[in-house]
Amino acid sequence: MTFNSPSFFLFLFIVVTVNYLTPTSFRSKLLVFASFVFIGLYNFESLLTLLFLSSLNYYLAKKVVANRFFYVFTVALNVCAILLFNHFSTFNTGFGFSVFSAHFSTDKFFIALGLSFYSLQNIAYISEVRFGRMIPETNIINYFLYCSFFPKIISGPVMLPAEFFPQVEKTTITASELIMGFQRLLLGLFKKMVIADRLVAAVSSVFDFNSDYAGITTIAAAYLFTLQMYFDFSGYTDMALGIGKMLGYNLKENFDTPLRSTSVSEFWRRWHISLISFFTKYIYYPVVYKLREYRKAAALTGIAVTFIISGWWHRIGLTFFCWALCHVVYLSFELLTKRWRVKLSEKINKRLYQLFSVFIVFNLVCFSNIFFRAESFEKAIRLVKNAVGNFIPKNMLSGFVAPLAQGGHQIDEFNLFISIFLMVTVLLFERKINLVAKSAHLRIAYVVILLLLIMVFGVFNSGARFIYMQF
Amino acid sequence: MKEQLQKVFRTVFEDNSLIISSTTSAKDIKMWDSLTHLQLIAEIEDEFKIKFSFEEVMMFNSVADILKTIENRDVQ
Repeated sequence: MTFNSPSFFLFLFIVVTVNYLTPTSFRSKLLVFASFVFIGLYNFESLLTLLFLSSLNYYLAKKVVANRFFYVFTVALNVCAILLFNHFSTFNTGFGFSVFSAHFSTDKFFIALGLSFYSLQNIAYISEVRFGRMIPETNIINYFLYCSFFPKIISGPVMLPAEFFPQVEKTTITASELIMGFQRLLLGLFKKMVIADRLVAAVSSVFDFNSDYAGITTIAAAYLFTLQMYFDFSGYTDMALGIGKMLGYNLKENFDTPLRSTSVSEFWRRWHISLISFFTKYIYYPVVYKLREYRKAAALTGIAVTFIISGWWHRIGLTFFCWALCHVVYLSFELLTKRWRVKLSEKINKRLYQLFSVFIVFNLVCFSNIFFRAESFEKAIRLVKNAVGNFIPKNMLSGFVAPLAQGGHQIDEFNLFISIFLMVTVLLFERKINLVAKSAHLRIAYVVILLLLIMVFGVFNSGARFIYMQF
Repeated sequence: MKEQLQKVFRTVFEDNSLIISSTTSAKDIKMWDSLTHLQLIAEIEDEFKIKFSFEEVMMFNSVADILKTIENRDVQ
């Protein structure tokens, strides 16, 4: 049951209605129950893993204040959980155990839904308690809700304790919040079903099947993958935020038009914001603070440590190591040339400098994403070699249009044209679209247009999962 | 004290014409971001012969924040 499945909408309708009608004091219990049902329906092992880890963190948090050993142990426990999870999903290793007559195994798909995300939240909570920035939560129901809240369980956003717990006792849900939440949910569905899922075939034909396309085709596929990931993940986030809003919660924004960034460091302030905020607060700043007497070398070390850990968090393997390494190189270059770039930006035409910077940053991000998307390191290297050699295919129809405009077993230029047209429109007018959503007069038009676009151009029953669901 | 702080800002951000005021924040200086923040802090610590705690460093977002913390240290 994912956010774009019909059964989820029935589930959501029931939960939103009952939650709205339930007295405030019972809402957290209801939402914990609904979240457990959501996770349990995905697979029972996920629910057991979540219950085990969140209970352990809840009880150990009471001991970490006075005892440093418990703090190190609890953080290590969560890190091991993430590494084990990544190991099983990377190498698809079977892992099973039996309790009485019940057998649990990871063969089905993944060991635990959302584990990488809620384990980070557990680390954040334990650290806040350890360093005296919050007192341990005394209500285990509230803690279960922090870990399992179903709008954010699949792929975040990663909520820090101070961002989530104050919202648990919120008393009212207004009609305006219900409408705004529904609008955001529709926007996310539109991004996922109309744009991201239409790009799956084009990206897949180059990344998963034939590896020997011409340079221009390979580069186009790398561009399209970055766009697919943006619309898939920001679409998921819109849905998560919309559902959260309908249930009375403001979840953290994860994207701020990142593809318009003029530097890679700016890109990381606007892409997957909740994850990078976590890494900045709990890894980058503590490392650089400890080493600050070494000045720029400290920052360079902080960048390297943060991104190597971020790569491991996504998946253990050479492809994600290379992806992380790309960003270490980009950010180190930016740190060492910052003054020079600021001076350059003041000398030449501002608009021209911005456009040029956006183009460069987009290409750098797309290059690193070849490693993010490729199924193996060898495949990624082959794609990189293809991208720089034999740039124009002999036959543009079979070498460029056909692989990107695939629809089933035939060439479907219409599919590609519609995807690109809608994608460019959204990219250019994203901020205006968000403003329209806030206008009381245009709300109905906004909902009707999005519904129509989803009905007419949406990809139904594609079976495409959210990209970040694998992490 | 502000002149002393300005000297540090000019050194770290490699800009001899940089003028700071108490309202100057990270938003006003292009060079001031997470990549250069701790470098600035280390230079200030050396200049004023003090040490900031991690929590203090995380709260610094403007010249006023830094000045206030240094002044409090002087009083102590």
